[in-house]
Parts: sequence; C-alpha cells; structure tokens
Amino acid sequence: MLWVFWSISILLSALSLAVMCALIARRLFRQRRARADADARQRLFKALIAFSQDRSRETLKSVLLSVPTPIALDAGFEFLSLLRGEEHDGVIAVFVDRGLADHVERQLRKGNAAERIHAVEMLAAFSSGNAAPALLSALDCDRSREVRIAAAISLCDLGALPPLEIVLPKIGIAGQRSRRLIELFRRIPADRIGELKAYAVRSDVPAFVRAAAIDALARMGDFRLADLFVAAMRDDSPEVAAAALRALGRTGHPRASAILAAAMESDDWGVRSEAANAAGRLGLADLVTPLAGLLDDEAWTVRYAAAKAMRAIAPHGEGLLREIASSQTSRSQRTASLILSEGPAS
Amino acid sequence: MISGWTDEIVLTATIIAWIIIASGMAQTLVYLLQLVIAGYALSQRPPVARSALLWHRYGDVAPPIALIVPAYNEELNVVESVHSMLALEYPNFEVIVINDGSKDQTLQRLVDVFKLVKFQRPYEEALTHAPIRSLYSSPTTERLLVVDKENGGKADAQNAGINVCRAPIFCVIDGDSILEPDALIRAAQPFIDDPEYTIAVGGTIRIANGSRIESGRVTKIGLPTKLLALFQVIEYLRAFLMARLAWSRINTLMLVSGAFGVFRRAEVAAAGGFTKGSMGEDLDLVIKLHRHMMDNGRKYRIQFIPEPVCWTEAPETLGVLARQRSRWQRGALECFFRYRSMFFNPRYGRVGFLGFGHIFIVDVLGPIAEVLGYILMPAFWLLGMLSFDYLLAFTALVFTYGVCVSVCSLILEEAELQKFPRARDLAILTAAAVLENFGYRQINNLWRVKGYWQYLRADQSWGEMTRTGLASDKK
Repeated sequence: MLWVFWSISILLSALSLAVMCALIARRLFRQRRARADADARQRLFKALIAFSQDRSRETLKSVLLSVPTPIALDAGFEFLSLLRGEEHDGVIAVFVDRGLADHVERQLRKGNAAERIHAVEMLAAFSSGNAAPALLSALDCDRSREVRIAAAISLCDLGALPPLEIVLPKIGIAGQRSRRLIELFRRIPADRIGELKAYAVRSDVPAFVRAAAIDALARMGDFRLADLFVAAMRDDSPEVAAAALRALGRTGHPRASAILAAAMESDDWGVRSEAANAAGRLGLADLVTPLAGLLDDEAWTVRYAAAKAMRAIAPHGEGLLREIASSQTSRSQRTASLILSEGPAS
Repeated sequence: MISGWTDEIVLTATIIAWIIIASGMAQTLVYLLQLVIAGYALSQRPPVARSALLWHRYGDVAPPIALIVPAYNEELNVVESVHSMLALEYPNFEVIVINDGSKDQTLQRLVDVFKLVKFQRPYEEALTHAPIRSLYSSPTTERLLVVDKENGGKADAQNAGINVCRAPIFCVIDGDSILEPDALIRAAQPFIDDPEYTIAVGGTIRIANGSRIESGRVTKIGLPTKLLALFQVIEYLRAFLMARLAWSRINTLMLVSGAFGVFRRAEVAAAGGFTKGSMGEDLDLVIKLHRHMMDNGRKYRIQFIPEPVCWTEAPETLGVLARQRSRWQRGALECFFRYRSMFFNPRYGRVGFLGFGHIFIVDVLGPIAEVLGYILMPAFWLLGMLSFDYLLAFTALVFTYGVCVSVCSLILEEAELQKFPRARDLAILTAAAVLENFGYRQINNLWRVKGYWQYLRADQSWGEMTRTGLASDKK
C-alpha cells in the first residue's frame, strides 16, 4: 500500500512538472513566432494602405507572397471589412490572384467549426468563381448546423442561394431556433418574396421559422402582404400570431381596427401586447376604448404597451389616459399615471 | 478497563480517519470527473473568434441587454466602471446602476460626472425590494440609468434593477468589475444560437491585480506581484476552467458568478429573483432557476463560456480575504440547506445528484474533513495510532494530487485560451500551483470552517470588502 501511495505521488509530480515544462517551452517558441507574425501583419497593413493610394497590384501581391497565408487571410479579411466599392474589389482581385481563396476553400473543408464559419464568411467576401460551389458543398454536407446557416447567408449575399424549399431542409429545420435564421430570411431579396410567403403560411414547419419568415416579410414593407399577416394572426401558435401583429403594425390594413380589437381579447399576453403596440403604431383612434380596457390587464407588459399606445394616439388616446390617471385609485389609474409621468421629473 | 477504553479510542480514531479519507477520496473523484469533462468540453469547443467577427456575425440579431450594476460605497471605482461599461461593444444595451443607499459619495460622483437629472420611468413591480428614492438619466448618454434606493443589500439592489430594466435579457455585474469590450456579444451568443432554451450564461472571471488598466480597460495582462493574489489566480482558473466548464457541459452548472452573469429576465422574475439577505445570492439564484424550470417541466440550458469576459480585484490582505471566504462558505451552506429537498432527489436529475452532490462533498463536508485531517492525523500519529510511514505517504499523495489538479487547470488555460502573455507567467503560475498547497490551502480551510461557525450562529454580517481600487494606470 505504501509503495502505491509513493508511486502515485511521484508519478503525479513528474507528470505535472514535465507537462508544464513542455508548455513553457512551447510558449517560448510561440512568443518568438508571434513577434514575426506581428511584423508580417504590420507589413501587410502598410501595403494595403499604400494600395488604396497607388493601386499598385504588383506591390501588394509581392507583400502578400512574403506573408504567411494564415496572417494574410486574417489581416486581409479584417482590412477588407473597412473597404467598399472599387477599392474593395481591387484588393479582392489581388487576394484571389495570390491564391488566398483556394486556401479558404481548404479551410472550409478541413478546419474546425469556428474556422469553417469564418471561411464561409471570407468566401462571400472574396466572391471568386469557386466560392458558390464551395459554399453549396458546405450547405450540403457540413456536419455543423451553424456552418450550414452561415453558408446559406453567404450564398444569399452572393445571389446564389438555392430555393428555400431546398435550403431549409439542408440546414435542418426540426428544432431550429437560432436567430441566425432570422438574419438569413432578412437577407432574402424582394424578388424572392414568394418563397418567404410560402414558409410564413406552411403549417408543417416550426412556429419559430414561420415567425421569422413573417418578420422578414414585414421588413419589406409591402402593403400587399397585409392579407397574409391577417391570416397568420389567426394561427394557433402565439409566436406566429404575435409576429403577424407586429407585421400588421408596419403595413396596416383596412380592417385593422376590428382585427386588432379581436387580438386584444386573446388568451396569450404576448398577442395582446403586440396588438396594443400595433394599434399605437397605426394610431387607430377607434381602438382607444379596448386599449383602456387593457390598462387593467394582469400582465404588466400588456398594461405598459396599452398605455404607451394610448399616449401615442393623440389627442383622443392621451386625453382618455389623463382622465383615467385622475380617476379613482385602481390598477388602470396607476398604469395611466405611471406612463404619463415618464420622462424628466418635474 | 483501561484496555477497553484504549480499544474504543482506537476504534473511534480509525472511524474518523476513514471518514476523512473517504471525504478526501470523494473530492478527488469530483475533481477528476470535472477535469475529464472540462478537457472534453474545451477540446470540442471551437477556438475563440475575434470580437470583430462576432460583431459582424451577430450584430444584427443580438438581443437587447440591460447591465445591472449594484453599487454600495463604490465611489472609488464607480465612475470608471460606468465609463468602461458604456464603451462596451454591443449594438443594443443600457447600463442600470443601482445606488444601494451608499454612505459615501457614490451617487454624487455619478450625478456630477454624467450630469444626471431626475427621471420618471414606469416599471413592473415583479420583485420586491427596498423603496426606490429616485431614478436618474443622463442627458449626455441615453444608455445610462441610475436608480437611487434605500439600502437593502446586493440582492435587493439587483431585484430593483431587474424590475426597472426593460430588456428581455439582463447582465448582473459588480460595481468594481471590469468587462472585456466584447463581453456582452460573447455572452449573448448562446442566447442567439438557442434563444428558446438558454436562460442563463456565465463567463470566466479573471483577477485584474497586476494587470495594466487604462480608462476602465485591461490593456495589458499581468500577474499579481503579491503572493496572496497570485494564489487566487490559480484558484479562479481551477474554479472556472474546470468546475464550471465541466458542469455546464452536462447542464448542471450550479453557479453563475455574481461578478458577471447574464440571465433571461422573465425566468428570473418567475423564479422570484435574487434572495434578499442571502450570502451567496448568485448560487441561490441559479439553484432557484433549476428548481423553477424543472418544477414546471420546461427544457432549459444554463451555459458557461470559458473566454474571459470580466476582471475583478482580488483581496490582497489576509483579513479581507478571510472575510470573503467565510462569506462564500456561509453562502454555500445556506443554499445547500435552503434547497436541501433537491439533494439526491430524482425529480431534479443531475442537478440533484451531481450539482448538489458536489456542494455536499466540497462545501459541506470538505472544509470540516480537511481541517479535522490536519488536526487529527498528526495527533493520531503522536498517540501512536497511526504509522509515520503511512502519514507521510498519504500526506504526500494529498499534496501532489492538489498540485496536479492545479496544473491541469493551467494546462486547460494554456491549451485553449493562452491569456497570460509571457512564458515567464506560466512558470510563475506553476510555482504558485505548488506553493499554494503549503499554507494557503490550509488557512483557506480554516476560514471556511470559520464561515461554518458563523453559519451555525446565524451570523448575517457581510464583512467589509476593502478595495484599493483598480484605477487607471494602476500596475
């Protein structure tokens, strides 16, 4: 037993010491390399700044060739995010000429998840001939959902996104909750509005996806979508109904008053709150009475949204709010007076 | 007769010795399990992305966040902290400073520097707290809101902040915390990737002593020059890179540090917010969240991100450190016994078994068993009940294992994060990892036993935390 205790102790000590010595040695080596890398970055940044003045492709390319590829990619991509237009395109052309796009494609195939997402973003920036096929391949077979979403976003930026009908199953639609999907939908160009409309009304996809589609449609600000939003408001899912109400608050609808008044009766506080917000946004004076009713709602968010909406509907809404604030003490009275007092203290 | 007495003493001594050994073994197993899981989690986690990339990627879909900063007698640091918070790189956030009835010039300093004016803002009274005297906003920045309230303690102030905030997500930090510029965008990532299930996110806290701080930012990472703070660097690495990362991986994270924690407001309000008067309000809240979500049969995740997001000042004197550690111990005991019905309760799954098991072994049994070991083992040897050879061999094993665990956390740091800039820092930390086992570890356990005693006596005093201040250019 004694022998075991001592042996384990010695083994643990020796292992700890050896590993730390190795790590320190590795760090020393890296420190030396880090200095060289910093110099290379500096050199590249200077060359990129010089390029923006003299547009000498040959000079930039020669500096790019003298810099290790990972540094060139990292620093180059960072610099590219600051450029626009012709200057941006000029730098891209030199990068592609230097073969950096090929390296990014390799990174997309062989890197870890973070490197692959970065590679996807760089490919969109490089927009070289091979970018779209490489991104499509990532969308097809990458094992990480985050990489697949990033690839779809990049393809959208390149104008090469396949139909959503194909893209979403490839990303993996079941259990999809990432807010990056919202970003993808928001980037879909207006001429592909039909695809988003189809997803907004499909009953076989998760509510989150439908709500994201409605959100993206609402941002397009197309009044012709109002009927679609009205239909979506009757959805069983409060998430979809709330998104549709938000959207309706942007576009408006001839029957908005009746629709919103009905939504204010919903069992879900999120729906009631969005209905109040939409009424305030559209300035619907005929909804002041149902809004006043919501001042006594159980959920603070609903009371707050209703009072804000009333305040926004001047003078009728604000007048009634003041009347309620000076009435007998009640939850409605308290809500009204709180909202009216918002702002710098007198 | 005498022989019978001796036999009984020997038997008792043997039982005590075995209890101490069993407790030590259990702790050893817990650390080993944490090491393996943390190593796996780090190896699976992609390398840290640059903050500019995160902004580019998540900037458009990042949810609004309210920073809730309770401040009590923080006149030394509060202005610099607020400046650094206002300069955070995040698209949509507000800073809510809660002056918890400070006796010093905390509020006045804020009023003077940010030209605060009284302001009315309606808010939901979802949680109870001491009365709010006034709200202040700043004409120079719409991101800042100051709440002046009567003193009620840290948890009370945080509850007031939760009530006042309007963002769906809030981040609690200490008044003296220094955040990394990209702290919020990093912490928001789990809320973006999995907005439905993520209800809380914790990040790594690092010790700022010895680092260069300019304009409320850590501009150059360095090691503390004082030994006491240096030992705490090792402790923090162990706590964050091993324990929290490991438990987070299996969704059993029991503690999101009060120095930096991001929470979904709705769930925290539904769970009852921070427990007023609690010594470990951060531990208490996370346990409450676990219980609330499980009782309601909801799926959820409480995540931990290993990247350093926040810097804090470590105590550099024995007195202050002793008070802090005793308080932490009281907090752990208080939470364990307050929520004891969750301990080994199958209804709470891994949280009940692993999370509470960990608190039981490390915080409830740990300090008592270790201090008893320090006293009784030599005593038994002096009384001739224990062989010297065994005493020496066992002691050597305990110490080398302690060193090995600390070194492993250093390995995790070096393999994945490499935040300490020089090779020399690694060598110093290795030496500290060895040295802390001789004296520091023992005294730490004594402070924890003192915390035990205070808990049993129901001593609720917080103990004064003397700050020297992480002012600009402090080195």
